[in-house]
Amino acid sequence: MSDLKPLTALGDASARTVTHGVLTLKENNALALVSLALRRDSPEPTPFGLGLPGPGLWASSGSIAALWTGPGQWLLEAPGRAESDFAAEAAAACPGCSVTEQTDGFAAFEVRSAAGEEPILALMAKLVNLDSARFGPGTATRTGLEHMSVFVIRRAADRLAVIGMRSAAGTLWHALETTAARLAEPRA
Amino acid sequence: MLIPHPLLGPRDAQEFTYLGDAALLNRPDGMAADAQAAFNDYVYLRDNPAGVHRELWFHEQGDRSWVVVTRNTVTHEILGAELARDVALAAKAGAA
Repeated sequence: MSDLKPLTALGDASARTVTHGVLTLKENNALALVSLALRRDSPEPTPFGLGLPGPGLWASSGSIAALWTGPGQWLLEAPGRAESDFAAEAAAACPGCSVTEQTDGFAAFEVRSAAGEEPILALMAKLVNLDSARFGPGTATRTGLEHMSVFVIRRAADRLAVIGMRSAAGTLWHALETTAARLAEPRA
Repeated sequence: MLIPHPLLGPRDAQEFTYLGDAALLNRPDGMAADAQAAFNDYVYLRDNPAGVHRELWFHEQGDRSWVVVTRNTVTHEILGAELARDVALAAKAGAA
């Protein structure tokens, strides 16, 4: 029997992490993702006790989080459970809804600031065309980042998550790391 | 240019792709006796107004909803936006 070793989306043996100034980027290779869509006239479920967020919002409860992705559609997140069958659990928790496994379709990157929200806002200003005044903690949206479609989640004032296509994980990491490195350079 | 998305607020127009005249929502009945002539008009005939125009935009890098945007083609001023789903359902309810 071959001894097969799983690789992360960036092709490494373990999650990549890098720090530039006050910003730390970390690949979140353990995040399980599931998409949830309501069928016509079906009631809104409350999977694992989580009230699903409205348009443009993100909500978390216990170890589960959800972000709104479209009318009647959400993306459920389960940190640390990428190697379990989270889709089956979610399907059981959302009877009558369409539930689809998404974990390996995406790559998630977490950005953490050691100096409050200013560095996060500076990073957002360089990368995404979103109004940061309307993108406070608890909001999430899909938008374009260097011509790639990504989900951006403001998990907290000093934390931002970017979830993009797994096939473009390297490009997305390059965009994030280059921007973080430039922000860390001393201003002339 | 910003498009006032009905659910998400003002969003960059670069996130959207353009389809065309919102009259495309009114697809003719393919089983009617005059279907061929009706489809010829539906596919090929378009109004080309200089002024206020209702058109379909797709929020591709966003929530993937179709939006009916009312735009002035002379000034590029955007006068409003509503979900195409709501427009189509309202038209259906009005016809029934």
